[in-house]
Formats: sequence, C-alpha cells, structure tokens
Amino acid sequence: MGGVIQLSVTQVNVLAGTREFVGWDNYLRIANDPEMSIILSNTFFLVIVLSVVGTVLALALATLLNQPLPGINIFRSAIFIPALVTTVAWTLVWRFILQPQGIFDGIVGLVGIGPIPWLRGGWLTLAVFAVIQITKNVGINVMIFLGALQGVPQDLLDAARVDGTGRWARFRHVVLPQISAAVLMVFMLMISGSFKVFELVLLLTNGGPGVQTSVLAFEIYRQAFRLNDIGYAAALAVFLFALVLALIGLVWLVRRRLVFHEDD
Amino acid sequence: MKTTDRRRSVALRRVPSYLLLSVISFLFIGPILWMLSGSLKSISEILRYPPTILPEVFQWSNYVEVFTLQPFGRPILNSVVVMVLVCALTLLVAIPAGYALGRVRPAGAAVIFVVLLSGIFIPPEAVIVPLFEQAAQLGWIDTYIPLVLFTALLSTAPVAMFILRQAFVTLPAEFEEAATLDGASRARTMVQIFLPLVRPAIASAVVFTAWFSWNQFLEPLVYLRSQANLTVPVALTLFEDPLAGPRWNVQMAATTLSVLPVLIVFLIAQRHVVSGLTAGGLKS
Repeated sequence: MGGVIQLSVTQVNVLAGTREFVGWDNYLRIANDPEMSIILSNTFFLVIVLSVVGTVLALALATLLNQPLPGINIFRSAIFIPALVTTVAWTLVWRFILQPQGIFDGIVGLVGIGPIPWLRGGWLTLAVFAVIQITKNVGINVMIFLGALQGVPQDLLDAARVDGTGRWARFRHVVLPQISAAVLMVFMLMISGSFKVFELVLLLTNGGPGVQTSVLAFEIYRQAFRLNDIGYAAALAVFLFALVLALIGLVWLVRRRLVFHEDD
Repeated sequence: MKTTDRRRSVALRRVPSYLLLSVISFLFIGPILWMLSGSLKSISEILRYPPTILPEVFQWSNYVEVFTLQPFGRPILNSVVVMVLVCALTLLVAIPAGYALGRVRPAGAAVIFVVLLSGIFIPPEAVIVPLFEQAAQLGWIDTYIPLVLFTALLSTAPVAMFILRQAFVTLPAEFEEAATLDGASRARTMVQIFLPLVRPAIASAVVFTAWFSWNQFLEPLVYLRSQANLTVPVALTLFEDPLAGPRWNVQMAATTLSVLPVLIVFLIAQRHVVSGLTAGGLKS
C-alpha cells in the first residue's frame, strides 16, 4: 500500500524512464477531470444498484427456494450455475446475446420494437451491466441466505404462527432479525464486489463511447496499462481503496443498529 | 378417497410455485443454453436474423476449430498449472496460519484477523498497479511467478485462512491436551490430529481457490504477454477475426469448453462446491 501512495504523487514517464515528484497534482486531476464525473457517477450507480438489488433479490430468491418442495434442488442448482461460469465466459455469452441482430433484438422484434442499442452507452447500457453482474453472482448470495434461513429455529416460527402473525410480519419480525448478520455480510460483500465490474466493461464496451460506460476499476486499468500514466492510475487506485474502506467502514459502524444479537 | 383429494389439492397448490421457479431458473440458465445452441450452429446460421432457436444442423466441427484457430490446448494446460500452484501455495500458507489463529492464538491474533478480513474487501484493481511495478522490477513479467505468488498470498490465502480458522476454532481442546500428554509436538498435533478433522474445510478452501484462480482475468491480462503463456479467460477473448469480427460459433464452442470442467466438478461434488463458494463468497 505504501508503494501505491508513493507512486500516486509522481509523474511517471515510461518512455523516458523518469519519475518526478508532483505532489497533489494527480489527485487534483481526479477532482477536476470532467471525464471523472461521468466515471464516478457510473461507478456509484452500479454500486448502489448492485448492492441493494443484489441483496434484496438474493433474499427473495432464497425465501422462494427455501420451500420444502420435491425437486427444489434442481432450481437451487439452476440459480447457482452462473456463479460457476467464469466472468469472462458469462460476459462473452451476453455479448453474443446482445449483439446487433442477436437473440434479444429478435425477442423485442417479435413485439415490433427495436433493434435496441443495448451497448451504445447511456443508462440502458449501465442497466444491462447490472443485469449481467447480478445474474452471475446472485446464486452465491442465495446459498448464503439459504444457509441462514435454515438456521432459523422452527419453534420461533411456530410460536409466531400460533400467535396469529401473518406471513410478512413473520418474515419481518422473526426471520429477518435472525438472519440479519448474513444480510449485513452479503450487503458488504456486494458493495466491495460492485467496485470490481471490470470484465464487463472491457469486453462489452471498452468503456466507450468515450468514457460513457467506464467505471473506476476500468479507468485504473486504462490509465495504467493502455495510456501508461502510472502515477495517475496509482492516485485513482488510492482513491478506490479509500472509497471502498470508507463505505465498508460506514456499514460496519451502523451494524449495531441493524443487526440483532441474541446475547445483547 | 379423502387422502387422495387432499394430496391432489396439495399438488395443485404447488403448481404456481413450480411455474414461478421454472421461469426464474430459465432466466439464469437461458444464457448457458443459448451458448450451447450457438456453439453448434454454422457461421451462416448464426448470423441469420431473426435467429433460429436450435441449430438446423449440429456442426460439431466448431469444437475442432477452437483448436485450429489458436492452440487452445495450451491455455487450458496453463490454467490448470497455475490453478494447481495457487492451490498448493494457498494451503501451504493457510493451514499453519489458520491453525495458529484458531488454536495457538498468539498475541495480536485478533488484529491480524481483522487486517486479513479487511483485505478481502479490497478490489484487485486497487492494488494491481503497485504489484505490477514490483513484478516488473523483479523481472517477473510474462512469468507465472506474480500470478501465483500475489494471487495466493493476497487473494486466496486470506479467505482460505478464514475458512480454516473457523474450522479449527470449533474443535475441543482435549484433543490437544491428550496429544501433548502423549508427547506429540505442536506440528505433529496439527498434522496428525487436527488436519483430518478439518477435511471438509480444506475441501471448501481448495474449491474456492481453484475457482478463483480459474476465473482470474485482470491479473493474467496484465502480467502475461506471450501467446504461449496465456490462461483460458484471456485466450477466450482472442477468437475475434480482425477482418470478419467475432466468429460467434467457434467463440461459443470455446466458451462451452471453458465452462464444462467446472460444471462437471459441480455435479460430482455439489456440496463441497457450494460450501466453498459461499464460504469464500467473500471474494466474488
């Protein structure tokens, strides 16, 4: 970590092989670069959508898959399978699905719309990213929640049922407090995971047009390994590092209010 | 009569549940099915619009072409080698460390544990730049050293350590006392008494590590240069014809090949795979 902070205050010229100290310049550039405001708003959009939707959807799916139905394991496996596929493979398959005149254009064509520019920037492309990322990873969170749901004592649920509590009230007041630790963990993992949307951007849009669909993780890669601006990339990396730690720390601080402890 | 009626009503009440579950499951495996279908189409069929759902003629030769368009066997071998090395190094570090954190509990163990856990939340993109600089200075570019060393030490070992610590912590202290009375050294106690007891945790750690290594994209993309050294995820992105664009049928065949081994392992060892990926769901 020390290395990256040191790098972040230098201007590295790879061709000439020189490094000079530039102080806060790289950080000022983050603050003033108009491209950065697009990249950051994309990054935050994905972090918020992925962490909230990813957690809520996983919880809903886990509740649905927690029913004692014959053959339920087949459905559990189906939702888990995308998590096994490598991110690159999953992204390539989606690129195939979304290509101009691909199956998605075919489907919307059936109802007379389209073709739709799925990957040409704007909110639509970011929403597409969110769908791809969530379907890929939600299976793992579903399994974490299933484990937690199965740990909820049956007699608590029975007691609530005898007291005449409705389905939603049982979930809200009995189940949710019991699994709150798992919910918090998944939420934190989703926050840090949402900053790692990299393969999607690289393989689907390359961040373009311009930087319209870029995110912080991809911008670090682009600055460091395509534009060879190592110093600026290091400053971005420090910024990303601080951002993740700050958000995770924030969630951790409010956990006492949200997480139910039996021993307290 | 009455019981069959009741049974029928139970079955009927389940229909909406099954319907909903089927639709949801289809959304998740639909892309995989579409990949399989695409991998067997001819290039002219795959470019047709509107697309056909099933291939008209099953063109198995796409799978042969995967290996003629680029030597795809090489990246598969490379990925396996890297995976094995990362798993070995991860266990080598994580078993003693997990044991120490769980059973020996040296001073400051809690602090070490928190630092390790916080490392789990740091995205690899945030540290790749200094790691690359370091690797370049040591002349490690285009070798597997940074890929194996940095991945094992920074990414997989902390998670494996966490999984193993949780397993070691739950074991009763009497085992240790009995072993010490019998004159076994600490190392021997760990290897002979405790290691067999945490086998499920080791399986989870191995599954997670193997999956993580097989999945890696950013690191091999940055550290490796020559075609002969590439790993599967990077090689997968190279099926594009610079003139004609992506060869979708061959691309989907190669993607299927990269997915198949993982699915087979999953079907054989479902329980271990699920526990490995959720325990380390941490990193995904």
